[in-house]
Amino acid sequence: MASLSSPTTAATRRQDSPIRPFVGLRRSPSNNCIPTSRNAVPSRHHLQIRAAKSSPRLPGRPLRVAVVGGGPAGGAAAETLAKGGVETILIERKLDNCKPCGGAIPLCMVEEFGLPLDLIDRRVTKMKMISPSNVAVDIGRTLKPHEYIGMVRREILDAYLRDRAAEAGAQLINGLFLQLDLPESGEGPYRLHYNLYNKGTSSVASERQTVEVDAVVGADGANSRVAKSIGSGDYDYAIAFQAMRIPEEKMKYYEERAEMYVGDDVSPDFYGWVFPKCDHVAVGTGTVTHKGEIKRFQAATRLRARDKIEGGKIIRVEAHPIPEHPRPRRVLGRVALVGDAAGYVTKCSGEGIYFAAKSGRMCAEAIVEGSENGNRMINESDLRKYLKKFDQMYWPTYKVLDVLQKVFYRSNSAREAFVEMCADEYVQKMTFDSYLYKKVVPGNPLDDLKLAVNTIGSLVRANALRKEMNKITL
Amino acid sequence: MALLSPLLPTFSSLRPNLSQKLHRTLLPKKKSSLFLTRCAGNGAGKVGSATVEEKLEGKKEEAIPLESEGKLPPESRDSNGAAVKAVIPTFNDPRWIGGTWDLKQFEKDGKTDWDAVIDAEVRRRKWLEDNPEASNNDEPVIFDTSIIPWWSWVKRFHLPEAELLNGRAAMIGFFMAYFVDSLTGIGLVDQMGNFFCKTLVLIAVAGVLLIRKNEDIDALKKLIEETTFYDKQWQATWQEDETPSVSNK
Repeated sequence: MASLSSPTTAATRRQDSPIRPFVGLRRSPSNNCIPTSRNAVPSRHHLQIRAAKSSPRLPGRPLRVAVVGGGPAGGAAAETLAKGGVETILIERKLDNCKPCGGAIPLCMVEEFGLPLDLIDRRVTKMKMISPSNVAVDIGRTLKPHEYIGMVRREILDAYLRDRAAEAGAQLINGLFLQLDLPESGEGPYRLHYNLYNKGTSSVASERQTVEVDAVVGADGANSRVAKSIGSGDYDYAIAFQAMRIPEEKMKYYEERAEMYVGDDVSPDFYGWVFPKCDHVAVGTGTVTHKGEIKRFQAATRLRARDKIEGGKIIRVEAHPIPEHPRPRRVLGRVALVGDAAGYVTKCSGEGIYFAAKSGRMCAEAIVEGSENGNRMINESDLRKYLKKFDQMYWPTYKVLDVLQKVFYRSNSAREAFVEMCADEYVQKMTFDSYLYKKVVPGNPLDDLKLAVNTIGSLVRANALRKEMNKITL
Repeated sequence: MALLSPLLPTFSSLRPNLSQKLHRTLLPKKKSSLFLTRCAGNGAGKVGSATVEEKLEGKKEEAIPLESEGKLPPESRDSNGAAVKAVIPTFNDPRWIGGTWDLKQFEKDGKTDWDAVIDAEVRRRKWLEDNPEASNNDEPVIFDTSIIPWWSWVKRFHLPEAELLNGRAAMIGFFMAYFVDSLTGIGLVDQMGNFFCKTLVLIAVAGVLLIRKNEDIDALKKLIEETTFYDKQWQATWQEDETPSVSNK
């Protein structure tokens, strides 16, 4: 029962951010939910949700859907919609946006989305996990020769998906989404306001335009305006901070290797990383609970990796929010959120690209199906089908990662145990299998039992050492 | 600085529960070889002490040099560009070799003194927590706590706590049995056959196991809420749906 001591240490550590009682959108919240938004949104009690089959056929035109945001989620959604015969417009504000992002994609994404292999800058086949006391464990021994984690540049990936959507028939608009007007009546159109950026001119010379559509897919990321428009509620988010460095001869070491540093110095609830990119490495860290100290954590990450990135220069510093959990409301009327806008980022690893693209595709598939290839109007129940499908398919993955984060990122002793466990081959195999293929594959029960015993053993030992550490002062 | 050499041989017999002042002087045992290889020949003991003094509160003043000084060469700090402390005294310990503890140096009466290994590792982790160091590829840390045999852990950590908890359980049991007997007149043997009493025994055992400190009560409540928090966040989008056509997760 030594593991029970960890809640107390975690409790003291988390004193500044105690777990707030969960409030959805129903009860009057005392924290960050937006109470007024419920009044702005037409009361749902009066909306009648009818099955799509009885929805009226659209008079001589296909269904019009706007996808706001042209990242992986938006691009995948737009492509599937266009292929399904729906009239799609894709609004993206910055076509060459270099997203500050780890850029790691699993193998299944390459297969499922048919990504050409030259999109991938690097194939990471080795990962090094480094504990707070610098115990270093290499994982990746169990990877087969054709398995790797693909590192991409976001601007390349996003552009590719958008272009594919355009080829399928979607209309790509370079503009900044401003505002969404909800329909006056149940079947009315949504009106989108956006600033159209004219090619070749500065953003000052942009004209405000309006378009009416039947449904909206909000794929505009963590600070989603579409989400605000439908009163989705807030979520907790981590700040990830990245500084890119280019050490010259040290790049060889990072040729196929990524590193993960865990420890309180690097992040109290996440990890620090060194990920290889095309010609440089990204050194970064993230946190949810101690956002104000992110620079300190970043410095600590650089310190831990110092020997390996020595001589490099910082070429870019960037930060971005990572959602921690889905928004309380992901679908309202004929507006659905996908990707980061919906909050589909896993815990523990912070992976979001694959889930963004997958959710975009699933939402689009639900729209295509519900509208019978663009012939009928859809309604909320069609979009809820997408939610149900996504939740059912990926809930185990999210939950397992949440449990892992809760157990292993609690304290330094838990992190030590975590790194120790990673040395085990079975763990490595399970981890990579579930990451690369997004399937939680049940292994041999005897091995699972051994794993459970080893995990408990590691945690108990680490906690015992922790108790001793608390007794001494150096 | 000369303090340290006489203290070295006494290290292995020291127990962490002893006077804390003693431990301050035992600081510098930490990570040696990582920086030994890098800073060979850097006999900058004096510089080390000066910068150490200004950096740390004074706890570590005596800490500086052991045999060969492991210290960062100044230039690597500046090129970093990061807000790193000026000089970081590194972990130095003669028994820490090649990224792991050299068990041969822990022998006592011909057998490995596992308690000393545990103490050494505790000290190393504590040091690194207070002074994080760069991880080095030349001397990777490969120490795994599972090399310390299970019975050593049991003897040192489990048994004292088990004694404590069993003592508490026995005291509670005795007085509850007496209390129930005085109230109802049912003797101990008959109590054991009673369902209600058996339930009380179960609650008492669970309570003794789970609640060991006052803070544990709050911690347990938080833990229970934490386990379902994420699920609630995911199901929020379903909870506001009132039509029967969509099933809840």
